Amino acid sequence: MKLMHTKLPDFYKKLQDAGKKFNPDTEVVVRGMENMESAKLASLRVGRAEEFMEELAENPDVAKIEVTVLPQIPETIHTIVFKAIKKDGTAGKAILGSMFITTPAAECYYHDAEEVDDRRVPFD
Amino acid sequence: MNKLKYKLIPQGAAEGRNPIHLIFVDKKDVVAAGLTYRQACEVIAKDFKEPSAINIIDMDAVTVSSDGIMVDYGIVAFASVDYGMINKDFGYLEVSEQPYSTKLLAEEPHMKQWDNIDAYKGKRLYRGPNFEDRWPRVPHNETQTITGRIANNNTGSEVMNVVDMTEVLIPAYGALEIMKDGEVLIGVAGPEISVGIGMVVFETYGRIFHRSYGAGLTAHNSGKYAKTVKSDYPAIAGPKRTLAEYTMRALEIGLVPGKDLGCSPAVLSIAKAMGKPIAFDNIEERAWIELESVGIRRADLEAPSTPMTREEILAKADEIVPGLTDGKLFKVADISEIRYAEC
Repeated sequence: MKLMHTKLPDFYKKLQDAGKKFNPDTEVVVRGMENMESAKLASLRVGRAEEFMEELAENPDVAKIEVTVLPQIPETIHTIVFKAIKKDGTAGKAILGSMFITTPAAECYYHDAEEVDDRRVPFD
Repeated sequence: MNKLKYKLIPQGAAEGRNPIHLIFVDKKDVVAAGLTYRQACEVIAKDFKEPSAINIIDMDAVTVSSDGIMVDYGIVAFASVDYGMINKDFGYLEVSEQPYSTKLLAEEPHMKQWDNIDAYKGKRLYRGPNFEDRWPRVPHNETQTITGRIANNNTGSEVMNVVDMTEVLIPAYGALEIMKDGEVLIGVAGPEISVGIGMVVFETYGRIFHRSYGAGLTAHNSGKYAKTVKSDYPAIAGPKRTLAEYTMRALEIGLVPGKDLGCSPAVLSIAKAMGKPIAFDNIEERAWIELESVGIRRADLEAPSTPMTREEILAKADEIVPGLTDGKLFKVADISEIRYAEC
C-alpha cells in the first residue's frame, strides 16, 4: 500500500539508494535524526531529497555526500516529559515541562561549500 | 566608497575576560553611511567574517533594564554574524519604536520615568522587537538572532557561541558605557545577578518578555536554583555607581520596588540605602525564596536604618550594590578597537 508519507527507515534507504545511483562506492552519511525512533516524513519533500542526492551524486568527482538534518528554525520549543517510575515498574507522577533549545544554524554546515543553492521552503 | 564605523570588543579582550567578539554600532554612523540597519550588519559581516554579535544603538533614545529602570540609549537593531554571513530568516532583528501613549503609561507604572525624568522626556523608546519585527519567530521564541555559531539573545544582552558554548552577558549599563567610551566592570555574573535577571516588570514588547511577569514576581520561578542559572557567565556591566545613579533616579520620582519596579537585589539594596518604601507584601513568596537564597532578607530590609544621601550612595555603590564576582574596571578605549567596513 502506498502512503502519503514516508516512514523513517524508508527515508534513510531512499537517500542511500539515490546517493549511490551513479556509483555504488559513493559514501552517504546522514546525521541529525539519531534520536528519532520513528517518524513520518512528507513524501513531497522526500522525493525532492532523492532528486537533490542524485544531482550531487552524478558529478564523478564526488566521493561522499553528507546529509545533515537540522531544524529550519534554529530555536525549537520542546516538551519534556519528566516521569517517575516506581519500584514496582509502574509509572508514578509525571510533570510536563518546556525547553527552548537553540542549536547551531545551517551556516555551520555549508559555510565552506563552493556553491550554495537554497531550495528550502520560504517563511513568507 | 563609503565606510561604516564600528566598535569591536574582541574575543579575549580585558585580560581574556571577554569570550566572544562583540560589535557595537552607533545609529548615526549607519545613517551617515547611507545604509539601512540590515545593510549595515551585512557589510560588517563581510568585513569581519568572524563569529560575532552586532548591536546598533541609538544614543538619543531610551530603553528599559530588565528590572524596570530606564536608561538613555536604545538598541534599534541587532544581529548574529558568522562566516561572513547573516542567516536570512533568523540572523537579524529590527526593534520598532514604541510610541508614547497614555495607555502604555497606565499599564506599566515603571514608565512614569519617561514623563518625570527630564533626561528621558520626549526621547524615542526602544525595548524589544514587536510581533511583526519577530516574524517568522513564534511568540514563545526568545528575542534572539541566530547565524551559524552565534545566538544574540534578549535584544542584544546575552550572547552565546552555541558550538563552544561560551557566553557573555551585557547588562544595560554595560552597553551604555561601551557606547559612551566610559568604563565597564567585567567579571563573573554571580548569584545576585543570576537572581536579579528574573525580577522583571510587565511590559508590552519588552527586551526579554512580552506582557508576561509583573513587578514582585519572579520570571525564573526556580526557587533555590535561580541563583545558579546564570551565575557562571562572564558579564560586561557598567560600574556600580552608574547602576546606582540610574536606579536612584527612578526611586526619587516615587517608584516602588516590588510594585512599580522589579524586585532585583540591586534595586532593593539601593531602595534600602535611600530609605525608600518597598512593596514587601506584593513580592511573591517564590521571589522571596530566590532573594533570600542570595542573602536579601525581608527582615533586614524592614529593619530601621538611617537613609544615606545620594552622594554617599554613589561613593559607596561598590559596597551597596550586590553582584558580580571578581569584577575589574576597564576603560572601554583600552579593550575595544574602532574599525571601518567598506560599503
